[in-house]
Amino acid sequence: MSEFAKRLHQLSERLSYLRDIFPGKHEEELALLQTRLDEAQAAAENASGEESGAGLEALEDLFFFIECKLEDKLTPMDKVRIVRHPQRICLRDILENVYDNYTEIGGQDEHTIDPAMLIARAYITRKRGGQVYHQPVLVIGHEKGHGEEFRNGGSAKPWGNAKAKHYMGVAETEGIPIHAYVFTPGGYPLEEYPGAAQQIARNIYEMAGLTVPIIAVFSEGGSGGAEAVSLADRRLMLSHGYYSVISPEGAAAIEGRLRNGERASAELVERCAENLHLTAEDNLKFGYIDKIIQEPVLGARPYHYEFFRTLRQEVLRATDEVVLRARGFAPLRAAALHRLHDRELNLDEFYVRWDLSRAARQRLVEMRQNKFIKASHSVCKNNRSVAGRLGDAWSEQWWEIYNRLIYDFYHRNRRTIRNLFEELGSEWDMFKMRLLRTWKRQEAQELAAEEELTSLSEWSEDERGWAWVSEKAREDRAVTCPYAARRGCMDMWAFDLYNEFAGVCSSCGHHFPMEYQWVMNNCFDKDSLYEFNTEVESGNPLRFPGFDEKLAAARKKTGLKSACITFEARLEGIQVVVAILAGSFRGGSVGVAEGAKFVAAADRARRKRCPFIVYCHGTAGIRIQEGTHGVIQMPRCTVAVRRYIEAGGLYLVLYDTKSYGGPVASFLGCAFYQFAIRSSSIGFAGPGVIKNTTGIDVPPNHHNCYHALSRGHIQGVWDRRDVRANLCQAIETMGGRNLYYR
Amino acid sequence: MNIQQHKVLIANRGEIAVRILRACRKLGLDFVCVYTAEDVCSGHVALARELGGESGLYRISSYHDANELLSVADDAGATAVHPGYGFFAEDFRFARRVEERGRKLVFIGPSWRVIRELGDKINTKRLARSLGVPTVPGSDRPIYDEMEAEKVARSLFDYQSQQGIARPVVLVKASAGGGGMGIEEVHDLDLFRQVYRRIRNYAMRQFKDDGVLIEQRIMDFNHLEVQILSDRRGRHPVHFGTRNCSIQSTGRQKRLEVAPGFDPSSVEYRFDAAALLDEIVQHSLKMARKVGYDSVGTWEWVVTRDGQPFLMEVNTRIQVENGVSAAISRVKGQPVDLIAEQIRTALGEPLGYSQSDITFRGVGVEYRLIAEDPDSGFAPWVGDIDRFDWTDAEWLSLHTHVPPVTADAPYTIPTEFDPNLALAIVWGKDLEEAGARGLDFLGHLRLEGHDGRGEPLRSNVEFLKNKTGQMLRF
Amino acid sequence: MRDIAEVMAELKAAPYTEKAVVAPHTGVVQFSDVEEGSEVFGPTGEWQEIPGTHIATITRERNPRNIVTAERGILRKVCRELDGTFVEAGTMLALVRHYLTRQEVISRLLMESLYTFCAPERARYYFAPDVDKKVKILGCRTVSVQEGMELFIVSRMKREAPLCYAGPSGIIYEVCFDQNRNVDAGAPLIVVCPPEQEESVEDVISRVEREWSDGE
Repeated sequence: MSEFAKRLHQLSERLSYLRDIFPGKHEEELALLQTRLDEAQAAAENASGEESGAGLEALEDLFFFIECKLEDKLTPMDKVRIVRHPQRICLRDILENVYDNYTEIGGQDEHTIDPAMLIARAYITRKRGGQVYHQPVLVIGHEKGHGEEFRNGGSAKPWGNAKAKHYMGVAETEGIPIHAYVFTPGGYPLEEYPGAAQQIARNIYEMAGLTVPIIAVFSEGGSGGAEAVSLADRRLMLSHGYYSVISPEGAAAIEGRLRNGERASAELVERCAENLHLTAEDNLKFGYIDKIIQEPVLGARPYHYEFFRTLRQEVLRATDEVVLRARGFAPLRAAALHRLHDRELNLDEFYVRWDLSRAARQRLVEMRQNKFIKASHSVCKNNRSVAGRLGDAWSEQWWEIYNRLIYDFYHRNRRTIRNLFEELGSEWDMFKMRLLRTWKRQEAQELAAEEELTSLSEWSEDERGWAWVSEKAREDRAVTCPYAARRGCMDMWAFDLYNEFAGVCSSCGHHFPMEYQWVMNNCFDKDSLYEFNTEVESGNPLRFPGFDEKLAAARKKTGLKSACITFEARLEGIQVVVAILAGSFRGGSVGVAEGAKFVAAADRARRKRCPFIVYCHGTAGIRIQEGTHGVIQMPRCTVAVRRYIEAGGLYLVLYDTKSYGGPVASFLGCAFYQFAIRSSSIGFAGPGVIKNTTGIDVPPNHHNCYHALSRGHIQGVWDRRDVRANLCQAIETMGGRNLYYR
Repeated sequence: MNIQQHKVLIANRGEIAVRILRACRKLGLDFVCVYTAEDVCSGHVALARELGGESGLYRISSYHDANELLSVADDAGATAVHPGYGFFAEDFRFARRVEERGRKLVFIGPSWRVIRELGDKINTKRLARSLGVPTVPGSDRPIYDEMEAEKVARSLFDYQSQQGIARPVVLVKASAGGGGMGIEEVHDLDLFRQVYRRIRNYAMRQFKDDGVLIEQRIMDFNHLEVQILSDRRGRHPVHFGTRNCSIQSTGRQKRLEVAPGFDPSSVEYRFDAAALLDEIVQHSLKMARKVGYDSVGTWEWVVTRDGQPFLMEVNTRIQVENGVSAAISRVKGQPVDLIAEQIRTALGEPLGYSQSDITFRGVGVEYRLIAEDPDSGFAPWVGDIDRFDWTDAEWLSLHTHVPPVTADAPYTIPTEFDPNLALAIVWGKDLEEAGARGLDFLGHLRLEGHDGRGEPLRSNVEFLKNKTGQMLRF
Repeated sequence: MRDIAEVMAELKAAPYTEKAVVAPHTGVVQFSDVEEGSEVFGPTGEWQEIPGTHIATITRERNPRNIVTAERGILRKVCRELDGTFVEAGTMLALVRHYLTRQEVISRLLMESLYTFCAPERARYYFAPDVDKKVKILGCRTVSVQEGMELFIVSRMKREAPLCYAGPSGIIYEVCFDQNRNVDAGAPLIVVCPPEQEESVEDVISRVEREWSDGE
């Protein structure tokens, strides 16, 4: 092919790319380009080389001009289409062009446990003076490929994420930084071992305490799948990328209340994309990414070699910055990094050692945790008065001091003394027993008391029934168990079922869904509830159209201000902190307010050294109307949980009714102790979402808690009536070393 | 509301349905009867059709389904429900639902609170002890502590040896259990701890409650019952004497009942039987008064060979053997029907007489005629009955739901229910005469049939004949 | 055992069964707007999770319950005169004519031509534990039976007794009972195919495949 024909071909490629990016839009411009291109093609067949060459140059200019014009008019949905286009750069392009050499270690091509997750040991060569340094990094990321079927569009399966977690551990052992590239539309919703949600939760938990620098680069950040590798010290984002709680189509399906695979109109999808605020600029503004990497016009494609240089500089800069900040001692270089822009400072000729001392590693983790704990703090709607907040701060300090004094100093020493006394006491008993054995037996025979065996013993009248009874129990009607046909259950009277039976079918044990108040009021000591953080309120940070009304309706219906209720209570006298995700408030979805309350509760439990119990009455996932404000709660709350667990607490999660999505795939799923109330459903994505994303029909009981138990997600299934007894047992037998009653 | 305006739903089948039906008729009450597909040929259906016509008869899917009964009650406009015995008779939830639902009905039986109170054996025992009523020695509450359990067990062994019991036995049972599950005997204190732990762990696994009861195992006893009746005010309960139900088949199923409980005039006992009967009657009345018992009920006692009584439990229902107590009782000189009395008082009529109006005479014997095979552990027998005749006598009353049968029109015993055929109540002026008349009745009874393979009918007639001589003896 | 051709002709003359849809319990009936003569379906879906055609709603104690058809067929009759009235349990609400499928015809024919072991009395039947395991895991056709083998457990009136198989030896070709339901005396329990008859079974099947076209 001649040079000319090649250029012509390139232009037609660019035109078809434009058509893909702008389906049914900007038709005038595209038609213009098409006619010009046709003309040029026709001319090329007749005319001589030189003539048409000049014409072609003009045409190329026209192309560039129009592309620039369209770049200015890019809508969020156009960006989504850019990101999804098969011509977009993929992780293999980056490995080829950004790093100096690499070896794939997580398998090759389709010969890997999950082709959508790529792991490589790469290195970057830098020079300082005459010295050459090879700096190794671990590259983890989703590989979309350029349209290969087996890559699954970069949607990682649970075992792909497990692989990523495994190699993060390797990087930690070897002390090398991790570069994570997020190119995923979302996690693949599979419930096979270990379960999509469970694995993502484990990944997030792992990253929350990983002691090596992590740099994440976002191109396509689809909700949970993205979070599985992106809890990073520094988050960069490509300018044409998106980072969102849900795909615009998914949001449109929910907004338009579509069912059974109906397609949303293009217009609605476009509007949803806009409302979700998923672009790089938006996320930078919210503070969920730290920097935007500018891409070429209409998105980076593999032939934009200049872009790879920029990317290399940016990841180097980010890694250097993170390392230097953690190390805390390199004033000149830190200042240089801070002050100088790319062009002025070639990072290839600059050197920072990337290994960290033990103290620096700890500092690194702490900084990362703080970064996520603080995220979304500013958008949280808290109506608490200034005086109240001051009081809170003061009481926090007081608890800190009190606990130090009581538990760290007093109790530790007291325990030693008490142990000594117990030992002595046992010895004395033994002595006494030996001495008095013969005499004692006689005494017993004399005292064989008829009185004792035949008269009434001491007995405190226990109260019958439950303290709190559902409204549903007041209806005079019969209720049919959904399994009646198969298990032969008889209809129950609502009065019995919802009151005495606690919503449990008396013949087959099926648990009917109950209100969150049931556990809240029936499982803790009487009158021991003290609710805190009541002033935090769910808001509409993205000004999502129509959402304010929906929130107001939910508030009116439930009397709650957010889906999360946090309170202190006692269980057999032991103080515990409890967070409830109430499924009745917007489906128990988690947004900024819920996250904030959860984090505060975890913090409170840590300070007071109480067990932290989460009762997930039901959650539909992350609240999509809050966009990335919602998604960020996943790493944020997980960080809070990790801090709590590492401080030696007991974090226990109890699922009820239906729990899906982000919360299960992060701060709930990462708990060491997870239990479910019978007949509950637990999973990553609901049946409808699975059908839409994978095309697979799932059996009716696919998400049943017993399946979750079999694959090891949860540790046990509880009867609702035994919740209190089981909780009491749990707080006595489970958990870490630092609980106040131990 | 005048009681004649009531309409009673008979929520039962078989013999008791027949008797309730007749009692309703006697009182002039309207009634509704239910039956299932298996029971189409049963005598109670035929009788209901004869007495009340098609409109008072409903086919339902199951006697065990409360919704079915109540929807029928609503459609038929019934105002009261008689549960009979079995099914819903002692189900306090059913009683509560009947009384508290939107369209309220009268539950012919004790109020649901009383049923709940006395339905729990532990609670009954505690109640009894609080009144000084003798109960089986041992714990009256679940024991959760091993040390305490051992202490109780040790005292029990010591207590039994003091009583002169040669081989003391202690029962360990899961307090949340029932029906023979989680119950073991211990003969030796050294083995106690092992057994205790086994039962406790079993209870924890099975019932999520590791409470354990520890009691003396009573050996060699007679099973006595006291028949109580009270009206809705519950203040002045009366008794209709005692019954002896010691003659049982395997699995503690009663087969032959005698009233009164003991007969010192013809049998010699090691203890003062008349005083003992009086004692248990007075204890039973005391408890009935205490809980405000407001219907018919039975206090079950065990009496040892030495004449020591222990209260076992309270049955808050009309019992199968109510007829035998009625047979020896006279109210103001007139015969009495306890089922009719139960219905009448439950609907709000006052009792109208006191204990002094009730007199007793003679001995009554009740035989339960059942199609079963005494030679193979009283296994139920199913098949067709093609002959069932007996000789009527003024000292005999026989209640059955088996319709008149001939060889051409046999009655097929439904497999869904117990194969009870009839209750025969024989009266005699003393034990000797009652026994002789009983044997006479059994001797003239003709009960024949065959099953699907042509094998002849098996019944407990011979067993009853053999046991007649042992009545009221230890 | 009857001649197969004869049975086949009989089935061809009336290639359907008629089954009544009855009220499962008492209550007030409200018919849906199905029409006589329309087609109805049994439960469908991979896990039978989609219920059959909704015929009526029966309300008892303020608890409505949908009555659906259990098999595919044509609605022959709808007892509309009962609409809005209180019915007893077992009252006929509709009549469905179900056209036999090829599979059903085969099993009918086999029942006629092979040995069927029938229930001696009305009771619940279970397979003996080891047989039960085999039937559940490997399918019934892997189980061979011979005279005197302890094959069933008969459960009647809270008592259980073993039941021995009597008849020719062979493999269990089909299981005709439901472990949770009472079986009437004389109703078939299993169909047994002796080894020498296996050929004729193949013959029946191929014949049906040839001659029977799925009705309706």
